[in-house]
Amino acid sequence: MAEIKFIEPNSGEEVKKVLHPIVSEWFFGKFKDFSKTQLYGVKNIYDRKNILVSAPTGGTKTLTAFLGIINYLVDLALKNELEDKIYAVYTSPLKALSNDIYINLISPLEEILKLAEKKGLKMQEVRVALRTGDTTPAERQKMLKKVPNILVTTPETLAIVLTSPKLVEKLHAVEFVIVDEIHALTNKRGVYLTLTLERLCNVSLIEPVRIGLSATISPLEEMAKFLVGNGRDCLIADVKLLKKVEISLDYPGENILESENADNQKKLYHLLDELIQGNRTTLIFTNTRNATERIVHHLDLQFPGRYVGMIGTHHSSMSKEERFKIEDRLRKGELKAVVSSTSLELGIDIGSIDLVILIRSPKSVSRALQRIGRAGHRLHENPRGKFIVLDRDDLVECSVLMKEMIENKVDKTAIPKNALDVLAQQIFGMAITKIWGADEMLATIKKSYCYENLTKDDFYSVVSYLAGDYALEHRHVYAKIWYDESTKQIGKRGKLARVMYMTNIGTIPDESYISVVVGAGEGKGVNVGKIDENFLERMKRGDVFVLGGHKYQFLYTRGMKAFVKAHVTKNPTIPSWFSEMLPLNFDVGLAIGKLRRLIKEKIEKKEENINFLKEYLYCSSDVAEEIYSYCKEQHDFSEVPDDKTIVVEKFKEEKEYLMFHSMYGRRVNDALARAFAFAAARHKHRDVEMGICDSGFFISGEKLDENKIIPWVTSKNLRDILKEAIERTDILKRRFRHCAARSLMILRNYKGREKSVGKQQVHSEFLFSAIKKISNEFPILREARREVFEDLMDVYNAEKVLRWIEAGEVKIKKIRVPIVSPFGLNLMIQGRSDLIKMEDRASFLKRMHELHLKLIGEKGK
Amino acid sequence: MICYLGKTLLIEEKGKKIIVIGDLHLGMGEALRDSGVLIEIDMIGSMIKGLDEVFKKTGKVNEIVLLGDIKHYFGKIVKEEWNDVLKLFDYLKEKCGKIIVIRGNHDVLIKPIAKKAEIEVGEFYCIGKYCFVHGDKDCDEIWDKKIEYVVIGHGHPAVKLQEGVKIEKYKCFLEGKYRGKNWIIVPSFSEYSIGSDPRENEVITAWNLPFERFKVRIVGEKLEVFNFGRLSLLKK
Repeated sequence: MAEIKFIEPNSGEEVKKVLHPIVSEWFFGKFKDFSKTQLYGVKNIYDRKNILVSAPTGGTKTLTAFLGIINYLVDLALKNELEDKIYAVYTSPLKALSNDIYINLISPLEEILKLAEKKGLKMQEVRVALRTGDTTPAERQKMLKKVPNILVTTPETLAIVLTSPKLVEKLHAVEFVIVDEIHALTNKRGVYLTLTLERLCNVSLIEPVRIGLSATISPLEEMAKFLVGNGRDCLIADVKLLKKVEISLDYPGENILESENADNQKKLYHLLDELIQGNRTTLIFTNTRNATERIVHHLDLQFPGRYVGMIGTHHSSMSKEERFKIEDRLRKGELKAVVSSTSLELGIDIGSIDLVILIRSPKSVSRALQRIGRAGHRLHENPRGKFIVLDRDDLVECSVLMKEMIENKVDKTAIPKNALDVLAQQIFGMAITKIWGADEMLATIKKSYCYENLTKDDFYSVVSYLAGDYALEHRHVYAKIWYDESTKQIGKRGKLARVMYMTNIGTIPDESYISVVVGAGEGKGVNVGKIDENFLERMKRGDVFVLGGHKYQFLYTRGMKAFVKAHVTKNPTIPSWFSEMLPLNFDVGLAIGKLRRLIKEKIEKKEENINFLKEYLYCSSDVAEEIYSYCKEQHDFSEVPDDKTIVVEKFKEEKEYLMFHSMYGRRVNDALARAFAFAAARHKHRDVEMGICDSGFFISGEKLDENKIIPWVTSKNLRDILKEAIERTDILKRRFRHCAARSLMILRNYKGREKSVGKQQVHSEFLFSAIKKISNEFPILREARREVFEDLMDVYNAEKVLRWIEAGEVKIKKIRVPIVSPFGLNLMIQGRSDLIKMEDRASFLKRMHELHLKLIGEKGK
Repeated sequence: MICYLGKTLLIEEKGKKIIVIGDLHLGMGEALRDSGVLIEIDMIGSMIKGLDEVFKKTGKVNEIVLLGDIKHYFGKIVKEEWNDVLKLFDYLKEKCGKIIVIRGNHDVLIKPIAKKAEIEVGEFYCIGKYCFVHGDKDCDEIWDKKIEYVVIGHGHPAVKLQEGVKIEKYKCFLEGKYRGKNWIIVPSFSEYSIGSDPRENEVITAWNLPFERFKVRIVGEKLEVFNFGRLSLLKK
């Protein structure tokens, strides 16, 4: 039985004792003492224990991981026993590591070497090499001749290394594997890495020690298993916050209602300006790329000239070079402020940031901690963070996040399990390196924590897909591997397999970006930037949006280009916070529900409530008062929903609405909303629209019978209902395309040519109908459904909520209201996000035709 | 007389029943595979199913006009094109004696295949008051006095219908007057490409056709076609 164990730090003496005298001399020549993280990690790594080190950002994690290894390698080098092999592999999700690696690895090694020389000791050079997707063939060749002792790489490149016959020989006795920023890998990229690590163990004659480095995240036990896989021990070093986080909350304007008013947006920029001017360097997080653009645009508008060349944006749809430029300028202290969506949460040291501003809720405690941890990297400086909230929901949410942060309660993160698309890519990779017995292959895969419960059926269905079994014709085109049923062996097919694998590897979907080109008037033909496909899908002709700080009006698309008009005076019509919204963490949702219940219990006692809130939320009287009056308003109008009560309000506008106040976060609400909407649609055989947000959802349709709709959805039938409900949605089709790319059904690089996404921009609708013709249970199609269920939505917790309802732990309270209640207002403004299609294309067309004829009369005939 | 029959037109002229079929783009399956989309697609199979439906309704016809872009690749003939285009020609020959193939811009190399099937290829085809061309380039015959109707493909017209958040796109015919002639743009026959909405994307033809004044006829299921009136009146 594998043991996962939390540990206490070693004493400085104990750690010092394991260091080689020369390493010790070097260390204490540079540092006064071991950091807390090092006390936890260094000796255990030296003792070859698997370990997960979780510490807030800004710690000394990388050196913690490397010190024990450097120590070991220096010892060998001094004894002239250093072999021509890779001793340690280090992976980080970021390519732009070179700078950090220089600081953490190369310079210590150089300094130790010099120290040895000074003492007249002979020491072999300990070689370090960086290999990423950007490494040139010449550099790769050099690596073969002069084998690095430490290989610094990314998860994807490590998988490539494992399929390169020459380099893999040097990994036959790898002793350490370091997985950095493991908290950023709770996604398919991480799933992929777990299999890559199992493949690495499979080629290595010894089991390498696994070292995971993580920012604050929870649950750590699960992260430890994620790191080491099934059946292996792991120590957990939960290094508590060394620095005190200074965190506060503010809103622009005198009170929160004033901040909500769009006319008062000016105040936001004045507040931001004040904060930026009062600090040396400020980092602003906005959650969405659009908001990033908008803030820079408005700061420039309100303060002409002040921010020219002093402010930068940093978000994921900017090019790598542009982002790197911003990071570099930030590090050099050339910028006053940087506005980022989420992309700067992670990674390399970005210099000294005085203040981190979070505009709108970061939606989870761990994310908030990671963001604020970007400040005060220098020793003895506390990270300072400030929430800026823009409406009352935001105020409540951020207040609760603040409480959880202060009390060190970190919300839970989930890791995808049994992803079949990632599995397909890895099986193909495995088959390239050797001929496998199917049982051995399956056993290797099942060592990964993410595939612990992989069924034989699922495994063989993926093998069948890869072997081209689903094809009627052209099998030679589709088949990537062969599987011999009589010998139960699996191997690669075709001479080009390795090239195909190496040039198409990865799990991050190529979001297709559409170029935005000025199509009329001044500046015609100028390319002004890129927007992602999802954003475009939401746009109609005439819509105004912001890109790169400028406003554009959408005209039309052609191929992979969107044509727009520049110099638009109209206000943006596309809600800026619309796409890429981060979902609220389930645990934080429950914490908000609990807060509501505690307020509700004494709702009539204002004084008592405000005192309670001040203490409970560590907040000011103003904030307490705002939160109280918000709840009181809801109470007077309808009822305050809480963690034990889902309030369902029914009201009528042009259609009937059922508004569910369910504070469980968007991922859970997405699942619940679709299930209830499907129940309603089925009941009336008409489409039902729905709106979904973190605090609840609504469904709207012709006539909604809540007494029939609500009981119809149960924890037992939820998955079946959802399977039907998502089948015709764009979401499933889009996810399928991503899964198809991950499982190498759609290739970026094929027959020696790189295809731009544009070139292979086949409509997801088309791919989806083609695959359904092959089989409705095609493994990659099943994976797309799983991804929608478990990664996009949270069916697991949605079932849990339904079980609470069934057990009576959560009550549903139905209330009729004349109009939407205060708590539902934001959701109503945000509007409908999707619909459950019950009416098929043909009947929709007929109905639209009848409507249209009435509308235009004979005029159009 | 013109009858809208699903994605096709049934025209009666000079005592003849003529079926008109829009762009097909056979070979697209191979083009997709070649570009790295390794999903099996049975283009010809689904096309023949669609044609079966049409011929079941019309019974025997006298002529079949293919409006061009029968094949997909420009500069070469791939295996799938040889197979599928020949399969299509064989199928059509069973249905009627006279098949007219108009060369589309994709059909640079259609002749060798047509020759094998003993079918003529032309740039246009005129019968009575009708003139058929692909639509990518102008041609003198259109402007002949006796021609009242110009029937083209090439543009792949389709329109989006929207109600609330629901948006569905349908293939459509566009039909209207321009320079003294009646123009009909026939949608593509392939079920794998719906087409472009002239209100958002350009529907490309060799002429500057005033589509906002054109009538929209939307293709439904079971060969039904619905008249939605002028494009400019179709609310977005």
